[in-house]
Amino acid sequence: MTLGGTAPNQPTRTHTCPWCGLVSDGTQLNCPACGATIDVERIVTNSGWTELPGRHDMAKLQFGNSHCQIEGTYVPVADFNLSPADGVYFSHHVLLWKEPQVNITAMSLKGAWKRLFAGLPLIMTQAVGPGHIAFSMDAAGEVIALPLQPGQGVDVREHIFMVATLNITYDWFSTNVWFNTRNGDETETHYPLGAYMDRFYAPQSPGLLLLHAAGNVFTRHLAQGQTILVKPTALLFKDPSVQMQLHFEHPNGTTRSWRSWGERYLWLRLFGPGRVAVQSAYAHMHDNGRNITRHSTATRQRW
Amino acid sequence: MKHCPTCNRTFDDTKAFCGLDGTRLVEDAPTPSAGQQYNQPAAQGWPSGPVVQPTPAPQHAEPRRVEAPRVANAPAADPLERLRCEWCQAMNEKTALSCRACGAPLDIKNLVSESGWREAPRIKDMTEIHFGASTCQVEGEIVPVAELNLAQGDSVFFEHHVMLWKDDRTPMGVMPLQGGIKRALAGMPFIISLAYGPGRIAFSRDATGELVVMPLHPGMELDVREHAFLLASHHISYSYVRIKGLRNILFGGQGMFMDRFVTGQQPGLLLLHGYGDVFERVLQPGESIMIEPGAFLYKDASVTMNVETQKLTTGFFGGTGMNLARMTGPGRVGIQSMYVHHHTD
Repeated sequence: MTLGGTAPNQPTRTHTCPWCGLVSDGTQLNCPACGATIDVERIVTNSGWTELPGRHDMAKLQFGNSHCQIEGTYVPVADFNLSPADGVYFSHHVLLWKEPQVNITAMSLKGAWKRLFAGLPLIMTQAVGPGHIAFSMDAAGEVIALPLQPGQGVDVREHIFMVATLNITYDWFSTNVWFNTRNGDETETHYPLGAYMDRFYAPQSPGLLLLHAAGNVFTRHLAQGQTILVKPTALLFKDPSVQMQLHFEHPNGTTRSWRSWGERYLWLRLFGPGRVAVQSAYAHMHDNGRNITRHSTATRQRW
Repeated sequence: MKHCPTCNRTFDDTKAFCGLDGTRLVEDAPTPSAGQQYNQPAAQGWPSGPVVQPTPAPQHAEPRRVEAPRVANAPAADPLERLRCEWCQAMNEKTALSCRACGAPLDIKNLVSESGWREAPRIKDMTEIHFGASTCQVEGEIVPVAELNLAQGDSVFFEHHVMLWKDDRTPMGVMPLQGGIKRALAGMPFIISLAYGPGRIAFSRDATGELVVMPLHPGMELDVREHAFLLASHHISYSYVRIKGLRNILFGGQGMFMDRFVTGQQPGLLLLHGYGDVFERVLQPGESIMIEPGAFLYKDASVTMNVETQKLTTGFFGGTGMNLARMTGPGRVGIQSMYVHHHTD
């Protein structure tokens, strides 16, 4: 896709956004689809992680006939200017402000009982233009713009999702990443990644998905069969083609009784092919250190 | 004659404060009374709240002319150029990099979103702000610290838990407050502390955010979300207003009271702490905006606030109600983008 045009006698100059792949004329400071700066070099670590490109304050993203302006740097605000035909949906607690004429309604979701028990938002709210409406999460971090092309989907860890355009479908699935611990007669089930993950998919037309990450964001592309270990709560999103399972690691010099939390490390193993993203500030994962009686498919390493 | 110890401009004996930077004037040896001109630092274009004291301000507190001030020893044929701060409208030296009154960078243009929200200026590390004869230095950027060097005769008031450190010789006191039982029951600070000059004292909140510097010009009245204010200079009077309406109290997200800061005849300095990023919008008379109640940070007293509930239902589960505050102009409204207080523990 090429945006803008050039004078007939001028050479065509294009810029391909390293983050979302959009080809633009490069006359703006930000990619018009995802807001990534185009005047800053791509930053890739020696190990292959690509840092989320920076974003100029007040960067504008275009989608449909509407656009979104990302304002602020520490806890950014996504300020949507919706045209009459466009709309967005969101979890109601991220709403920051809106113009009075923007009407908001509830979007019904399937599996309400399961969602209720899983701690997922029971009601998804939608807003339709025309008018302005703005969103922010209540934590310092980055707003990640993921433009989804037709046929493209992405799996997102729960409570990361901020807002999506109405042409993106929303579904959720069980992560199947869990383990049980026993304390006397009591059995406790743990979900290091959360019991469910959100899945967003653009079936027919391109859409815009906004996520919120704590700290900084890094992505990498895993080749077919390539694997990497990440802390479960650091995972932000992944391509649906990326598979995951638990991995237990026991450092050398410790007992094998599994009676102490310090004797095991819990990881999430990701298998390529596909893109994965992590955030640098992740929630502390509580491990009570008790004996694990059952668990989902896992690998184990004893040093 | 008097002169300003900060900018060295001269004023006649009827004036008590520098019309440019608000510094208390000191006596000077007699000098020829050449044109005492100074700029008007009042916020042009700001809709000010109701004037609390309707008596006309004395001449020394109400600059009338907008010509550039003259420094006593400057050549008469060399008019001084001034930079107007886009955030607080104060006039600054042409060579200044940040505003003397609010610390806003002068070399960065105002960031205004397409929808009309103006981003509060991100104060550069180690920026110095002047008020009275004292200075305030803003240190750090993620959780900024306001370090005050209080001059003799100046004081500030604050909630004691925002205090970070102080010189052992900086005098402290307690501000007498009315309605102590009401305040205690409403969860408002029961005791407001005072620190007097001379001495140094520093303050910070316990969350990522911005220091919002609000130089209050004479006759301003500002309502602030409770526990959002970091400190205020002694030129500002402090009270509280009860939020009207049961719905506003129950669902407004800020309890029963709001802090109210009022300036009389002298300008004052008010520092707020906003969680995340802070944005300000000026509402025209009758113009409304719906905001998440927890995001409210401050408003002019002329802006009205009413909480409205929108019912969101989904089949069997009955749904939930979403409360939004309708803010109606005229006046300024300030919001913060991170609206849940994260306790450090």
